[in-house]
Amino acid sequence: MDNEKRKELIGLMKTRLTRPMRYYLDLCTRCGLCYDTCHVFYGIPKKEYSPVGRAEVVRRIFKKYLRPSGKLFPFWGDSKEIDDHSMDELLDAAFSCTACRRCMVHCPFAIDTPFLLGIAKSLLIGNESAPDELSILADGAVEKGKSIDEFKDGFREVIKDLEKEVAVKLGGVPPEGLIPMDKAGADILFVGLSGAHSIVHPAVILNSAGANWTLSWFEAVNFGAFLGDPRKMDFIANRIINEAKALGVKEVVIVECGTAYRIPKYLMGPQPFKVSSIVEVIHRFLSEGKIKLNEKTITDPVTYHDPCQLGRNGGVYEEPREILSALAADFRDMTPNRKYNWCCGGGGGLVALDNEEFRIKSGKAKYDQIVATGAKIVVSACENCIFQLDTIKAGYSMDVEMKSLTELVAENLA
Amino acid sequence: MWDSIYYFVMVPMVYIAFGTLFGGILFKFIVVLRSPKIKGTLAVFPRGPVPKLGALRDSFFIPDAFRKDKVFWFFIIAFHAAFLLLIIGHLELVREFALFQIIPHYVFLGAGWVGVVLIASTLYFLFRRFKSPWREISVPEDYIILLLLFLAFIFGSHMNLASRYGIAGFDIPVQSYREYLSSFFTSTPHVSRGIIASPHYVIVVLHVFFANLFLMLFPFSKMVHSVFMFAAQFIKRK
Ligand code: HEM
Ligand code: SF4
Ligand code: SF4
Repeated sequence: MDNEKRKELIGLMKTRLTRPMRYYLDLCTRCGLCYDTCHVFYGIPKKEYSPVGRAEVVRRIFKKYLRPSGKLFPFWGDSKEIDDHSMDELLDAAFSCTACRRCMVHCPFAIDTPFLLGIAKSLLIGNESAPDELSILADGAVEKGKSIDEFKDGFREVIKDLEKEVAVKLGGVPPEGLIPMDKAGADILFVGLSGAHSIVHPAVILNSAGANWTLSWFEAVNFGAFLGDPRKMDFIANRIINEAKALGVKEVVIVECGTAYRIPKYLMGPQPFKVSSIVEVIHRFLSEGKIKLNEKTITDPVTYHDPCQLGRNGGVYEEPREILSALAADFRDMTPNRKYNWCCGGGGGLVALDNEEFRIKSGKAKYDQIVATGAKIVVSACENCIFQLDTIKAGYSMDVEMKSLTELVAENLA
Repeated sequence: MWDSIYYFVMVPMVYIAFGTLFGGILFKFIVVLRSPKIKGTLAVFPRGPVPKLGALRDSFFIPDAFRKDKVFWFFIIAFHAAFLLLIIGHLELVREFALFQIIPHYVFLGAGWVGVVLIASTLYFLFRRFKSPWREISVPEDYIILLLLFLAFIFGSHMNLASRYGIAGFDIPVQSYREYLSSFFTSTPHVSRGIIASPHYVIVVLHVFFANLFLMLFPFSKMVHSVFMFAAQFIKRK
């Protein structure tokens, strides 16, 4: 690596030095309390996959270039140069982390490891060694934001077909207008994903509740965030924020996708509308009596996997449990759960990468947890999680069914 | 020559050490305050009913350590409580504070025990790092800091115990320390006769030397956890 490049990367590192970043760079005492709290370490017990092991790769480079003591006395904190070897270490540290932040709740200084790894991701993007899959997906989403009008006609055709599916599920009502689009003044802007089911099941529920809603042109998922490019993350999130503002909706409802929920809700600053997860909305419809469930119809034991971005990082813990307790005769929580729940290993965009073997190994903690409950149905409320849970199921030949909460609700409306 | 080296450690270096400590912490604060805030929140849920109080509780009682490793937690609490008493004790070596005499004691509060607890916990922290996995995640800074603390504590404890039990000729009366330490706030800082005359002088010099080094490294090491911990714990709940 030449010096020009190195200078460019140091410049990129500086753009990441926000206040929280300064704290996280300084605070770690290497006490080791987080060492075994990462699900990746649980499955592959290597220092490189411990939270502190990952963070130190970043800290050592930071010290070398941007901290006087590290420049003067490199031995003091084991400072490290930016070179091809350290770039490889950064790649392994950053793109094996699912950003679940389980380590953060075990650290006495509450260090947010994935936030710190944001530096690693910036350096990798600058070095053009970030995973291509994520770059391509993020660029695609940005491109769609820039030229949405070209996509609209094709999308309308797709939606027409989905409306027919929704009509069947609603008992043969006329399909027209079951998935409204571009409806100014709607109460709810619902944001789905690219898969048909991510629109059909919520549409069934929203229509059953008689909600005044409209569908977004965009997918909720934010590959800019997974990639670790703050500009692309903002652009992708702003596509939806601007759409919501233009339509004047009161609430933006996000499909089952943890990251897509957390970003507009907590990472984009205050907005003139409310941001909710579809799970919260289902819960609200139930408590307002707008929809009803066939109670206790599921007799097989059911457990719930807290998606990290919806639970620990989003605060939605009780709603899914209450919905499931209504549906299932035998609901069992995993141990640990809620704030301390183990990540399934699918977050951080990892399911978009070619790393199945790695994800099976890093899903070991989740596998053990599921087996301990004895459940036959594992429900979750995040597309990424369900995809990864299916990978775990195949990897360990499990005799369980992985299910989306929204789908389960849509199938069991009274 | 030794006289001037001793003098340097006992007087100019003390000013340098405290100057570096306070200047360094100020510098750290300026760097942080000049760094941009982020637009959202990095909270983890549940945030708790009163986030600021929760952050203080997590900082002072360290429940995150208690949950995972009770022995480690015990030593963290013991160490930090003793360190607080140590700071109070050193203030009492400057002059008498009526406030601290709420619990009547002979100088200084918790003396003797403070040293023993600090030495034991420092050794625990140090030996812990000789084992895996701490061995793999430690950097030289971690060992150097503990070593400096250990050395400062050993000599400090020795001085305290010597004067307590009146070990022949080695005991330096509190009055001599007060004369020396309070002179830093006057225009004529000096080492008092009582200290210089003691055969113990070299021990005092070593104690002050290692403490000075520790204070100078403080703002530029992980020791800033004492200042920034509250902020980070608050971010978790903000
Ligand atoms: C002058 C003040 C302080 C000093 C000299 C000090 C010193 C130390 C030392 C030497 C360790 C052990 C490091 C190791 O294991 O190698 C430590 C750990 C720790 N300190 Fe402090 N500390 C101070 C203030 C504080 C404060 C104010 C807090 C929070 C309220 C705090 C919280 C912690 C925690 C949570 C640890 C555990 C992590 C660890 O042992 O590495 N400290 N401190
Ligand atoms: S728990 Fe926190 S302070 Fe301790 S090693 Fe991990 S990141 Fe560092
Ligand atoms: S955020 Fe999750 S995946 Fe990343 S280091 Fe922490 S525990 Fe591991």
